[in-house]
Amino acid sequence: MMPTATRRLLFLMLASLSVASIFAASAIGSVTLDWNQWLMAITHVDSDHGELVWRLRLPRAAAAWTVGALLSLSGCLMQVLLRNPLADPYILGVSGGASFAALLGMTIGVSAGLVPALAWAGALVSILIVFSLARGEGPWSGTRLLLTGVVTASGWAALISLLLTLGPDSSLRGMLFWLIGDLSYARLPYWAIVILVFVFLACFAMARSLNVLAMGETTARLLGEPTRKLLWLVYLLASILTATAVSIAGNIGFVGLIVPHLMRLLVGSDHRVLLPAAAMFGGLFLVLSDTLARTVLAPRQLPVGVVTALLGVPLFLMLLNRARVKQ
Amino acid sequence: MSVLTCSKVDVQIAGIRVAHDLDLEIEPGQFWGLLGPNGIGKTTLLKCLAGLEHPAAGEVLLESRDLNALPRKLLARHIGMLQQHTVYVFDSSVIQTVLTGRHPHLAYWEREGAKDLEKAREALKAVGLEGFSARSVTGLSGGEARRLAFAALLVQEPEIMLLDEPTNHLDLRHQVEIMGMIHRRTHRETCSAFAALHDINLAARYCSHVLMLFGDGDWCAGRTGDMLNETSLERLYHCPVERIESANGPRFHPSAV
Repeated sequence: MMPTATRRLLFLMLASLSVASIFAASAIGSVTLDWNQWLMAITHVDSDHGELVWRLRLPRAAAAWTVGALLSLSGCLMQVLLRNPLADPYILGVSGGASFAALLGMTIGVSAGLVPALAWAGALVSILIVFSLARGEGPWSGTRLLLTGVVTASGWAALISLLLTLGPDSSLRGMLFWLIGDLSYARLPYWAIVILVFVFLACFAMARSLNVLAMGETTARLLGEPTRKLLWLVYLLASILTATAVSIAGNIGFVGLIVPHLMRLLVGSDHRVLLPAAAMFGGLFLVLSDTLARTVLAPRQLPVGVVTALLGVPLFLMLLNRARVKQ
Repeated sequence: MSVLTCSKVDVQIAGIRVAHDLDLEIEPGQFWGLLGPNGIGKTTLLKCLAGLEHPAAGEVLLESRDLNALPRKLLARHIGMLQQHTVYVFDSSVIQTVLTGRHPHLAYWEREGAKDLEKAREALKAVGLEGFSARSVTGLSGGEARRLAFAALLVQEPEIMLLDEPTNHLDLRHQVEIMGMIHRRTHRETCSAFAALHDINLAARYCSHVLMLFGDGDWCAGRTGDMLNETSLERLYHCPVERIESANGPRFHPSAV
């Protein structure tokens, strides 16, 4: 049990760091602004720098924060759903369906503005496929859901490979960036924020139920939870979060795995603390990763997925090793 | 003060009927011991009593209402169950895990209050885990995890405690302490308990009633003193049994083969 004061301090810290990181991201880049220039830019929207900050950098940073929060929240839910601390938002094939639809759109050359909608549609198809196949009578079976999801994900991966093989060379680069996860063209869609807020509130409202669910389905039922309904709700909410994130920025890896894991180590497994902490830290982590992706090889821009993976893999192995030593 | 009733219940495992037409009333103040060899359906019967599974036939009633017609949250305030295995996947502190026992008593938005915390601390003390509050559950030994799960059950304050081999993994002292605790709780007639056991002598010492499942559908139930004897135990376990008189009544041991 985290004391209320500590909890508030933690939330306040993460919130201020989030805001600070978004502002910092708006000052740093191919043209780095000093404090005075940045203040001028922020206050004068019509100046050159103002345009850069308001039209390009701030929306991109805000999109990064939103996507990071969506993925981290989804990761937390997936881990409870599958009762596995190593589950991530992409494990059940939602991102596969989204990617396939988006890449199909790129192959046949739909306008870039339509790609997010296509991605969402693809994710929805995948969610429905897995949902209807894994449902069935009898008690809830996490194993069946896991297998159905993983196999569906493999199916999408095969279709994606097919598209990459058959697709025109000119669109390959864009496709690749999308598959790795990229925020270059991300403009903050307000509907994503609306989804984030609503799903977060829904999850936060059932945070104590999630705590109980994390102890196992039978335990949760014995403690008064109608687990079947709850589990499908968690699946749907997690899928919506993933679909939203992927439709904005493609398959950014590792955020949804690392952030919940890191936060569990830091704040424990009480979802009333974990969910807000993971959402804010996930946002912060992705803003920083994206800033790094824009600047580390400037003027070239890397897809942010490369940075999160390059940061994520060693971090994850370190954590895993630490956990082993502790035992 | 609730009575849990089995009415003409059939228990099946893999299509084989292991208990037939089971009629049973678990009343406040009673501590039932459920005896039977491995794989005979003890856990399945406990799950039926907890409303986790439907019996193959017949019905289980709480205060003459069918368990399956009652909402889970309401059930959880009346019936609690200690499961046979306790596995903690996620790192969590001991105190937070005990507090999950309060879940059915809290409203949707409610947080655990000072009273809940007090109950949790008392329960930890009762099972000898005081000082463990901040410890991680994944680092506990088998016996400690077992006692933690029992503490969570105490905090849940059910009127009917179902226990699946409560003394599993426990050392001698803690076996006796936990059985004694259940015995005292039921003795004050505030609640009842129903425990699957493998130790005949713990049943002989602490249980007021015994239910034996023979595996062919036959069963017998009644006061412990009337139920436990060489004949019934030999029939139950297919093993010769020797009776030894102690100051607290008869005790049973397998005789040398």
